[in-house]
Amino acid sequence: MELQLKGSVIVLTLNSTNNGVTSGWEEGKYYSEEAEVDRRDPGRDYELYKYTCQELQRLMAEIQDLKSRGGKDAAVEIEDRRIQSCVHFMILKKLNRLAHIRLKKGRDQTHEAKQKVDAYHLQLQNLLYEVMHLQKEITKCLEFKSKHEEIDLVSLEEFYKEAPPDISKAEVTMGDPHQQTLARLDWELEQRKRLAEKYRECLSNKEKILKEIEVKKEYLSSLQPRLNSIMQASLPVQEYLFMPFDQAHKQYETARHLPPPLYVLFVQTTAYGQACAHMKSSQPPRQDKTLSVAIEGSVDEAKALFKPPEDSQDDESDSDAEEEQTTKRRRPTLGVQLDDKRKEMLKRHPLSVMLDLKCKDDSVLHLTFYYLMNLNIMTVKAKVTTATELITPISAGDLLSPDSVLSCLYPGDHGKKTPNPANQYQFDKVGILTLRDYVLDLGHPYLWVQKLGGLHFPKEQPQHTVIADHSLSASHMETTMKLLKTRVQSRLALHKQFASLEHGIVPVTSDCQYLFPAKVVSRLVKWVSIAHEDYTELHFTKDIVEAGLAGDTNLYYMALVERGTESDACSSPSSGKGCHSQDVKYRTLLPLCSPCTHLGGIESCDSSQLSWHLIGQGFLLEPPRCCLWCCHPAPALAAKLQAAVVLNPGYSSIPPVFQLCLNWKGEKTNNNDDNIRAMESEVNVCYKELCGPRPSHQLLTNQLQRLCVLLDVYLETESHDDSVEGPKEFPQEKMCLRLFRGPSRMKPFKYNHPQGFFSHR
Amino acid sequence: MERAMPQAVPLGQMEVFQALQRLHMIIFSQNVSPCGKFLAAGNNYGQIAIFSLSAALSSEAKEESKKPMVTFQAHDGPVYSMVSTDRHLLSAGDGEVKAWLWAEILKKGCKELWRRQPPYRTSLEVPEINALLLVPKENSLILAGGDCQLHTMDLETGTFTRALWGHTDYIHCLALRERSPEVLSGGEDGAVRLWDLRTAKEVQTIEVYKHEECSRPHNGRWIGCLATDSDWMILSAGQGRCVNQWQLSGELKAQVPGSSPGLLSLSLNQQPAAPECKVLTAAGNSCRVDVFTNLGYRAFSLSF
Repeated sequence: MELQLKGSVIVLTLNSTNNGVTSGWEEGKYYSEEAEVDRRDPGRDYELYKYTCQELQRLMAEIQDLKSRGGKDAAVEIEDRRIQSCVHFMILKKLNRLAHIRLKKGRDQTHEAKQKVDAYHLQLQNLLYEVMHLQKEITKCLEFKSKHEEIDLVSLEEFYKEAPPDISKAEVTMGDPHQQTLARLDWELEQRKRLAEKYRECLSNKEKILKEIEVKKEYLSSLQPRLNSIMQASLPVQEYLFMPFDQAHKQYETARHLPPPLYVLFVQTTAYGQACAHMKSSQPPRQDKTLSVAIEGSVDEAKALFKPPEDSQDDESDSDAEEEQTTKRRRPTLGVQLDDKRKEMLKRHPLSVMLDLKCKDDSVLHLTFYYLMNLNIMTVKAKVTTATELITPISAGDLLSPDSVLSCLYPGDHGKKTPNPANQYQFDKVGILTLRDYVLDLGHPYLWVQKLGGLHFPKEQPQHTVIADHSLSASHMETTMKLLKTRVQSRLALHKQFASLEHGIVPVTSDCQYLFPAKVVSRLVKWVSIAHEDYTELHFTKDIVEAGLAGDTNLYYMALVERGTESDACSSPSSGKGCHSQDVKYRTLLPLCSPCTHLGGIESCDSSQLSWHLIGQGFLLEPPRCCLWCCHPAPALAAKLQAAVVLNPGYSSIPPVFQLCLNWKGEKTNNNDDNIRAMESEVNVCYKELCGPRPSHQLLTNQLQRLCVLLDVYLETESHDDSVEGPKEFPQEKMCLRLFRGPSRMKPFKYNHPQGFFSHR
Repeated sequence: MERAMPQAVPLGQMEVFQALQRLHMIIFSQNVSPCGKFLAAGNNYGQIAIFSLSAALSSEAKEESKKPMVTFQAHDGPVYSMVSTDRHLLSAGDGEVKAWLWAEILKKGCKELWRRQPPYRTSLEVPEINALLLVPKENSLILAGGDCQLHTMDLETGTFTRALWGHTDYIHCLALRERSPEVLSGGEDGAVRLWDLRTAKEVQTIEVYKHEECSRPHNGRWIGCLATDSDWMILSAGQGRCVNQWQLSGELKAQVPGSSPGLLSLSLNQQPAAPECKVLTAAGNSCRVDVFTNLGYRAFSLSF
């Protein structure tokens, strides 16, 4: 049935299409609608579909029409029409199938095309990526830097000039920069190779030389012990020949460790000593013994001191900070800390320079110079030793004491104050008021010591960069040494003089004898030293104090000159032997305080002897009014002349100054007696006549002797009161031209030597 | 008197010597210049110092104006006496009288104009001249001193015309009687002698010590100073610090303390040319000359 149907369909289709039916039929043993779809035109199918749908509508309408009219023939017609409409339905079905197949086919084609497009797209993407990568690679390549660019090459001209032609290849490289660079690099390499070669050669050379040095060193070190042994062996020879080269050498070695000021001092004093020896004699310098220099102290300590100079500085600043902290924390230990700091500040260098200055009479002045490191000043301690043992008189206590023997060597240089103005600030820090309290320990920082050490301090402002200067030291050396010698000699002379002054004897040397008359009756009975305060308290010294001549660096003495005591009467020419022997005994008994202060009851005088009484513990003596035995009128009143003496440390270039007070018929001083004033003027102002032979060490004793003479003149020329009965108290024994002269009625105090008379000045 | 402790000044050899010299200085004589503005003072070292009174008294006086404007060495010995003529300053001391021109001194040229020595009988010691006296009427100068004589010198010719003797000891002082040409002299022998210049004879002798109320046994018989002025007031000074002002009746009117321990010379500046400088000056045993602007008050001291 199907075949039939198909056949009819084909027929149908043949009806509608002219050529398609035969070919499809002939071709197909099989039947495939897919293939048929391809052959058919979709437009025609659409026409066919429209036609079929119209046919059906028409048939349906006819059937309806037929049915509505009913009848028997109608049934056949209906049947017929029904068959026709079935055919049409068949065509519709067929068209439906075709349409489905076409749809499916279309879908498949679309899908296929889409897949193809996707594949192409992917390919495109890959290619783009590849392009990008390649571009990157290209830029990388373009940016590539060669290592050779960092190498510093010789310049082009130099390269062509110096490089051998087989490397430079000028004809090839001139035009081609690449080749040129390669050639230059080659040349560089060549050169470097050569240098490396040279370097190796040098190294080996050095090695060789080092080895040689090593060998020589060994040889030298083996030489030292041998030389030492030779030196050791030569020592006795040096000693034997008085050539202390070795010793001097050792000293110079030590001197290297001295601080700069002490070193300057050492060098300059040694030089001065040698120069002096040369000047004095033609003998070699080693023979000079008047000035010897030595270094004392521990060299090791000095060395240790030198090693950490910065550390100590730091310590100081550190400890400053610490100190501040600790003061806040702990009060009680402050004092101890300050003490330590003071000690640290006043520390002196472990090395010191000893200078021995020998004077003509074999006395030696030992000077020890120290250097205070933190204060940057030098100090000196002095000691005097004499050849013979000295008996120290009581009043000479200060003369040779280390504290005062060198005081005021230059005017005003008392050595109690630090010469470095910067020190005051340092002192303020640790609470030292003045250096004065420490000089006994440390020695005196005299100005001349600083100058000998080449230290110069400006007066006004503190200066921190004070350096030791050789020329300063040298310029002061000679004067200072001379002053030192003069000082020691004058002090020793005073020392001796004081010893006899205390025994009431004024020593007058034979070369000064012409200054005084042969007979001097007034006697020195007392010579004591007094304190500065006591001196200023005296009522008759006011002028001197006000004139500024009584500084506390001076030495003060009190002399008492008397005339009119028993000793005076007894030593008169008419006195007998017995009296003289008594006199000697009496002197030993006489205490230094004067007997004449108490003139109490007068004992009647025995005709054969002096009567004197011992009262109490002291040997107070009552003088008889008249000594009949001597037939000489004994004075009822002793004249006592007190003389307060200011002894400048600069004696004898600066004279001692006398202030007088005469106790005789009342108290007479320069305030109420012109002649006392004149006497003071005689010893103080006219001292140059009394200096005696240079270096005028006799000045003080001559002044005292002159004072005795002046007292004699004063008393003997005193106008006699006519109204009082009896002989003159002091008979005039001196030869005077005139007793008074001038408006102020001066007495004749001037002594004229060869004639032996007194006249007015 | 309180004792101020002066600062101990470092003194060198020269300074000490100068200080001692000043300390032992005695000013023996003073004289006011003819113009009245300057004061000359002579000391025991033979120096004469010229002070400017007008500068020291002016309102803007400084310490320097109390120092001498000129000091020069006039004599070898002390300058015991000075007088001024209208142009010259005459100074005397150790046996010689010297003349200086005031005009030149003030210009600081200290060259002596002339010097004269009275005819002394030879002696071991040259006698000093203690007093000078100008006799304006006959233009002469009378010198007296150690040789117990009065020498008259003619100022015009410079020759010594006569010598008057009679004193037995040296002469301290001279005074002129204004009305009659008579001169008084007083000396160590205690006598005051009156001389007539016309006849060159001694007219009268007063031996003061012989009068009981005038004798001073403890001081001796010497006469230190004479005055003939009939003024009612006497200024006196001597041992002791004070200048005393007496009335003729013997009443002590005023006592002014000075700065020197003993006074030797008083000078009243009465030159009519300089009324602003009318002062009393006193000097003696020190290097200071006290200046009294009125008679009861010490204003200040000039100092060598």
